[in-house]
Amino acid sequence: MTRAVERPQDSVAAADDPRLKDNETRNAFVTLGVLAIVLAVLPFVLNERFESIAVLTLIFALMAVAWNLMSGFGGLFSFGHAAFFGIGAYVDAYLVVEYGISPWIAMLLGAALATLVGIAIAFLCLRYQLAGAYFALATFAFAQMFLLLVQNLEFLHKTEGFNLPILGGESFWMLQFRQGSDLYIWIPAAILVLALAGVILYVHSRPGQFVQAVRDDAVAAASLGINVMRTKLIAVGLSCALTAVAGAFYTQYYFFVGPQQAFGAQVSIEAIIPAVIGGIGTIWGPLVGALIVGPLAELIDSVLRDPPAFIGFLQGVAGLDVAIYAALLIVIVLFMPKGIYGTLKERWRR
Amino acid sequence: MQERTWAASEAPDSDAAVGGIEKYRLPLAVAAAVPVVLVLIYTVGDKDTGLVTQSVVTGLLLGGVYALVSIGLTLIFGVLGVINFAHGAMLSLSMFLVFWLTSTLGLPVYLATVVAVPLMLGFGFVVQGGLLNRLTVSGNHEGSLLVTLGLSLLITNVLLMIFGGRPLSVPGSLEGAWRVFGAIASYERLIAFGGALLVALALTLVLNKTSFGMCIRAVSANSQGAALVGVNVGRVYALTFGIGSACVAVAGGLLAPFLSLTPTVGEEFTILAFVIVVLGGLGSVVGAMVGGIVIGLVQTVGALYLPGTGSLILVFAVFVIVLLFRPQGIFGVTR
Amino acid sequence: MQKLIGVAAMTVASIALVACGGEGAEGEVEDIVIGAVHPLSGALAGAGTTMSHAAEMAVKDLNEAGGIECLDGAQLRLAAGDSKGAAATGQSEAQRLIDEGSVALVGTYQSDVTQNVSAVAERAGVPLVIDVAVDDAILEQGYKNTFRIQPNATSMGTDGGAALLKMAEENGQSIDKVSYIHVEGAFGQSVFDAFEAEAQSAGVDVEEITYSPANFSDATTVVRQAASGNPDVILATGYYPDGLLIAKAVQQLNPDIQAVYGIANGAFDNGPFPSDAGPAGEGVLSANYHYDANDERVQDIRKRFQERYNEPMETAAVLTYQAVEVIKAALDQACSDDPMEVRNAIADIEIEDPLLAFDGPIVFDETGQNENATVIAMQVLDEKIEQVYPAEFKAADLAYPAK
Repeated sequence: MTRAVERPQDSVAAADDPRLKDNETRNAFVTLGVLAIVLAVLPFVLNERFESIAVLTLIFALMAVAWNLMSGFGGLFSFGHAAFFGIGAYVDAYLVVEYGISPWIAMLLGAALATLVGIAIAFLCLRYQLAGAYFALATFAFAQMFLLLVQNLEFLHKTEGFNLPILGGESFWMLQFRQGSDLYIWIPAAILVLALAGVILYVHSRPGQFVQAVRDDAVAAASLGINVMRTKLIAVGLSCALTAVAGAFYTQYYFFVGPQQAFGAQVSIEAIIPAVIGGIGTIWGPLVGALIVGPLAELIDSVLRDPPAFIGFLQGVAGLDVAIYAALLIVIVLFMPKGIYGTLKERWRR
Repeated sequence: MQERTWAASEAPDSDAAVGGIEKYRLPLAVAAAVPVVLVLIYTVGDKDTGLVTQSVVTGLLLGGVYALVSIGLTLIFGVLGVINFAHGAMLSLSMFLVFWLTSTLGLPVYLATVVAVPLMLGFGFVVQGGLLNRLTVSGNHEGSLLVTLGLSLLITNVLLMIFGGRPLSVPGSLEGAWRVFGAIASYERLIAFGGALLVALALTLVLNKTSFGMCIRAVSANSQGAALVGVNVGRVYALTFGIGSACVAVAGGLLAPFLSLTPTVGEEFTILAFVIVVLGGLGSVVGAMVGGIVIGLVQTVGALYLPGTGSLILVFAVFVIVLLFRPQGIFGVTR
Repeated sequence: MQKLIGVAAMTVASIALVACGGEGAEGEVEDIVIGAVHPLSGALAGAGTTMSHAAEMAVKDLNEAGGIECLDGAQLRLAAGDSKGAAATGQSEAQRLIDEGSVALVGTYQSDVTQNVSAVAERAGVPLVIDVAVDDAILEQGYKNTFRIQPNATSMGTDGGAALLKMAEENGQSIDKVSYIHVEGAFGQSVFDAFEAEAQSAGVDVEEITYSPANFSDATTVVRQAASGNPDVILATGYYPDGLLIAKAVQQLNPDIQAVYGIANGAFDNGPFPSDAGPAGEGVLSANYHYDANDERVQDIRKRFQERYNEPMETAAVLTYQAVEVIKAALDQACSDDPMEVRNAIADIEIEDPLLAFDGPIVFDETGQNENATVIAMQVLDEKIEQVYPAEFKAADLAYPAK
């Protein structure tokens, strides 16, 4: 099947060609630098009332970048990233609420656990040669089982979820600031920039090149001596760890997490939408997708809240905002089947 | 090349000669296991007999409901390889269509169902032909997944805009119940069960006995090959989606009398329908029927021992085991 | 380089879009904003929309009555938010409403969304008056800014149980054993636990049967299970579709019981239930918080609501209306539009003659719970929901045993 690939024919060779590698990597890092600057000044230009949308967009971006590692570059379509997001969110909530441990440590522990679980699930699925839709459904089933399990476990508060204690003051160590603090944007932005830097390095590294080769033709890659299982599991592990970090930050920002917020099927979908809208299998696609999908719902809402006169009759019609959002999603996918970034990049190339 | 792994489209192969008895071993084993487990529950299950009978009857009827919902999905999933996220929303759409036909035109509910079938067939045809075909044919499965997802949101929220979110009931169907061995089976659910059998039979006949059915099976097995011998693949896809939607319309009409209608009512069934489709084998109509009944029984009889969500965990555990050890499903052909 | 420009342009464009999104809130500075967060889309949109309408109507009524007198007749303005039924959206909507200058929030119908919104309210120093959200846990966080008018799950279980036992006794019946069917999750479980404690202290045997809120489309087995122990009463706690299915299954199985009795049941005292359930609904009892149908002011409000929005005003919407009135009274009392002063006024408030059938005036205890919130018993009689117990709210005679 067709995917937006950096260099389909010579992706393995590219790794060995220092000139090519340097050029691409350098360009990518320059872009990333610009992005970092934009994100750093974001809190100064952004009205405070849009902070929560900016944070949500950044969480979307983190999830989409993570999902894209496994499903875009790795070719393993995950439909259960809620499992890893949920693990991150719940490990953070549990350790912070029950033991008062710093969220930074909880975040790392959550990422470690999610990596282990993710690799175990992926190993099981790959061992039994599940691919495509079957792989997607298997990951989905695991996420659903986690959801049901958490709802039945007393020590995870069943359906009640966790409320983080509100400290009152600000504390970087406990990752808690006054509402509207710029740090709530800077921290996920910094994580995102680091994650993207990691993605750029990974994609141009040997494991990253290998996994794309495996995705495009596993038999050929294996015959060249690539350890198919290992390269895939590396992508899965990275993806799960980053997703869990996003989950932990979710808990920290929202102060409450319950089974549906952490493990609901909606969460898996939220990781997929920005990535597909932006363009899977590309470095920047998920980011572009998140920058569009994140504010989109709010934008539609704000137009409909105070509509221009000629559509004034639409004000207050329940469901209209989501319907428009859905219609836009469909239109984008139909006209840009490789995602916004993926399609535009292809045009530029020509 | 990727397509095969996605669609894994083994159509129900009616040629018994290929696999001989070998290929019926698992289906037969499952068919035999169900009564054995039931006998065990009756004899050593330590539960009131009347209660067990009731849960078996309820489970069978619920299974019929699940089967009805899954049959359309297995066809679409099996032939197109598309995870159709809009399936639940389409079920809601059918129910509201029937509701509208009964409440404004005053049609009896089962006549309204008959009217809804061609409407949904057309709807499905247009959706696949107009929106999805380009993506499906080029093998862009992420794209089609997202489009069906968008479609699901769109349908649900348009229904919300038109009908509001308060639960509605379809008026005037067949009240009452049939008593069998002390258990209760309501007429409405019996009719739904009969409808599921009828739809399964009709679809099997269409797939196996008509030239159009042969086209569907050909495209499902190898779309490029079918195109080479002159099959219009896009058209077959669109018609398949249409037929799948028509099955959903039947399901909607037969379920509407005993469910409270809200725009999200159909989505409750989506997840289980996917489980059933995989359990039964992609594209296998008989598989969907059996899978539906098995899941229905597991859920209700299982609930006697593992109440509430416990029985759902059981369902997903069965699902994962089937995925890992027999991904082609109970009725799928061994690769 | 093109890539670079592209990403940068994208970022700038989307920031610009967001930044331009919500202008226009300026210019109406004198209005006092009340924020309302409800699920206006998603699975709970039906109830959410009605509640949002109720808030709108309450604001309009209060403005017509002269606004906030001691603030020179300042007018109220409702800012409505859509939680879409999701906790994260509820939080960002609450934040938006606070940033738009809300002096207080009303919401949110769902327990998980309420948990999120109450954390926002706590940190922003803005009071939240919960209209509907039942979980005990919401007020157990020690938050100072959250208040709840309706009874919580535990008190409904206790009061509902007490009412059942009294009704049976007054009608010369004895209850030795009951079966209780409830939905899984914090809501169903807390109501059940409280009921069980109350019933056991009166020497009643309780059998518990649970079902999952997902994929509940047939109640025959759970009702059969409930009936198999030969109980005197079958109780049920759950949502609207579940309650409807349970009532129908009881009718079909026709067990020998005194009554079907809902506690905090989403169906049994809800407007459309008698016609949806048909003969299966007849005689069904329900203990729930409810508007006071005998109160003339309630009758007037509900009548005008029906005329204006062409839909019946259910209890949840009456609670929203009441919540807006509580905030208005607090504004009057505080004589200030500072959120913290409004909060302090709410904490000290005493609202006589509430719209709900409660034990007394609305008074909040130190956790923020309305002390006098309680349930009353209703019964479907001749396809109408009538208040039957206790005597002070009675509108029709109780039929007990109901079957």
